[in-house]
Amino acid sequence: MKHQTKQFAWSLLAVIASGSLSLAFTKTGDGHQKATTSSTPVTKQEKLLLSEFDRNVKQYLQVREKVRSQLPPLSKDSTPEQIDSYQKRFVEGLRTARGYAKPGYAFTPAVADYIRTIIRTEFKGTDRTEIRQTILEADTTGVPLRVNYPYPETKELTQIPPTLLLRLPQLPKEVKYRFVGRHMLLVDTDNGLIVDYMTNALP
Amino acid sequence: MKRLNAYLLAAVFLIASGVQSTLGQATALQPQRNGGARVVSNSLLRISLPAKDNGVRFGIIGDTGTGTQKQYQLGSLLAQYRDAFPFDFVLMMGDNIYGGETPKDFKLKFENVYRPLLDKQVKFYATLGNHDEPAQRFYQYFNMDGKEYYRFTKGNVAFYSLNSNYMDKKQIQWLESELAKDGSEWKICFFHHPPYSSGGKHGSDKQLREIVEPIFVKYGVNVVLTGHDHFYERVKPQKGIYYFVSGAGGKLREGDVRDKSPLTDKFFDSDMSFMVAEVVGDQFYFQVISRTGETVDAGVLPNQRRK
Repeated sequence: MKHQTKQFAWSLLAVIASGSLSLAFTKTGDGHQKATTSSTPVTKQEKLLLSEFDRNVKQYLQVREKVRSQLPPLSKDSTPEQIDSYQKRFVEGLRTARGYAKPGYAFTPAVADYIRTIIRTEFKGTDRTEIRQTILEADTTGVPLRVNYPYPETKELTQIPPTLLLRLPQLPKEVKYRFVGRHMLLVDTDNGLIVDYMTNALP
Repeated sequence: MKRLNAYLLAAVFLIASGVQSTLGQATALQPQRNGGARVVSNSLLRISLPAKDNGVRFGIIGDTGTGTQKQYQLGSLLAQYRDAFPFDFVLMMGDNIYGGETPKDFKLKFENVYRPLLDKQVKFYATLGNHDEPAQRFYQYFNMDGKEYYRFTKGNVAFYSLNSNYMDKKQIQWLESELAKDGSEWKICFFHHPPYSSGGKHGSDKQLREIVEPIFVKYGVNVVLTGHDHFYERVKPQKGIYYFVSGAGGKLREGDVRDKSPLTDKFFDSDMSFMVAEVVGDQFYFQVISRTGETVDAGVLPNQRRK
C-alpha cells in the first residue's frame, strides 16, 4: 500500500513536471464549479485530485448555503451595521454547522502536495522572487492558522499573483485562496471564515 | 537673446503657477483662478479643467481610509474643489478602510470625511484594495452593486472597476467579454495595484500587467487609474495607454518614487494628493492637487483611439 502511494506520488510529480498544468473549472448545471481541462489534457491522476478537491469545496458550499438561507439577505445598499451583523451571524452559523471540520478538509495531503508543486513551478525565476517577498512582507502576523476561525478584519489580504491564480484549481466565487506567510488558506469571501489551510505552500 | 529671455519668463511663469511643463503626450495646462472667489488656505482655488456642460467630471482618490487628520484635510479640500468644479462622482482606488471594518470605522474613515460630498449626492465608486474586505461591495456608499468587479457608464465614458487582489479566470473572462462589446469612446479601468509604478516600496505589479495589459491593448482601453503606492505618478504612456497612480489620499510614502525612473512623466511624493478629471469629447483633462492646495500636475491627453 505504501509502495502504491509512493508510486502514485512520483507519477503525479512527473506529470506536473512535464508542464501539463493548465487547469480550469467550468460551471455545471447546478451553478457549481467542476474541474475540467483547458487546452492541455489532464491526466487521470490529476482528474482524481481535482474532483476530490472540487467535491470537498462543494460540500462546504452546501453547508454554507443552508446557513446563508437562514440569514436576512444583504442588499447592495447595506449599511455598515447590516454588513457587520450579517458577517457575524454568518460566521457563528457556520462554526456551529461545521463543528466537525478539521485541517485538511479541502486541502487533503495529496491535494496540498499537488498545489505546492504548482506553486513551486510558478515561483521559479527572479521575477517570482519579488512576488514571494511581497507575500512574505504582508501584514498577516496574528492570522490564526485554525479552521473555522475568522480571518481578522484588521489584517491585510495578500494579493494572489494573477499568474498563479490561473494555474491553481479555480474556485467558486464564495471562497478564495489567501496567503498568510508561507501558508495558504481557503477563506470564505463574504464572512472571512477560514474554511481550511495548508502549511508551507510557498517554497 | 530675446528668445532665451522669453523661454526663461515662460519657465518662471509655469513654476510660479504650480504646474511644471509636462512631458510625453500630455499638454500642460495652466491653472486659472476661478471666477467665484473660493478660498483654500487663504489662496484662491485654481481650476485647470474646462468644466463644460457636456463634460464627464469626476474626482479620483486612493488609499484613503485612515481616519487621520490629514485625510480629513484632503477630504475637505476635495469638497471645496467640488464647489468650484462640480464633479458628479468620485472613483476610489482601494484601501478604502484600513484596519478594522466595524460600523464605527466606516464612519470615521469614510462617511465623516466625505460627508459634505455625500450630502450633495456625489456618488463614490470603489474598488477593492489589499486592506479591504470583499464585503465592502455591499456598502451603500461604495456603489459596487454587490460585485467585486463591475462596469458603469457616464456619457461617452465606460468605467471598469476591477479587483486586482484576485484577478482570477472568471474576472478576466468577464473583462474581455465586456470590453469586446463596448462601443464607448473612452474606456477607463481603475483598480488598486499599478501595472506601472516607480514606487520603491511596491512599484510595478508585473504579474498583474502580464495578464491585463494584453487585454487593455487589444480592446483599446484609454486610461488606467490605480493606487497602492502612496504618492502621485503620471507614467509615460505604455503601449498607447495612459497610466496614473493616485494612492496618497490618506497615506503618504514620502520620497518613495525611485530617482530617475524611466517610467515617470511626472510625480509628486512629498505630500498627499487627489485628482480631478474631465472627459470632453476626445480630450481627457486632469489636475492633481496636493493637501496644501497646490496644483502639482495638470494636462490634457487626446483620445489615442480616435482616428
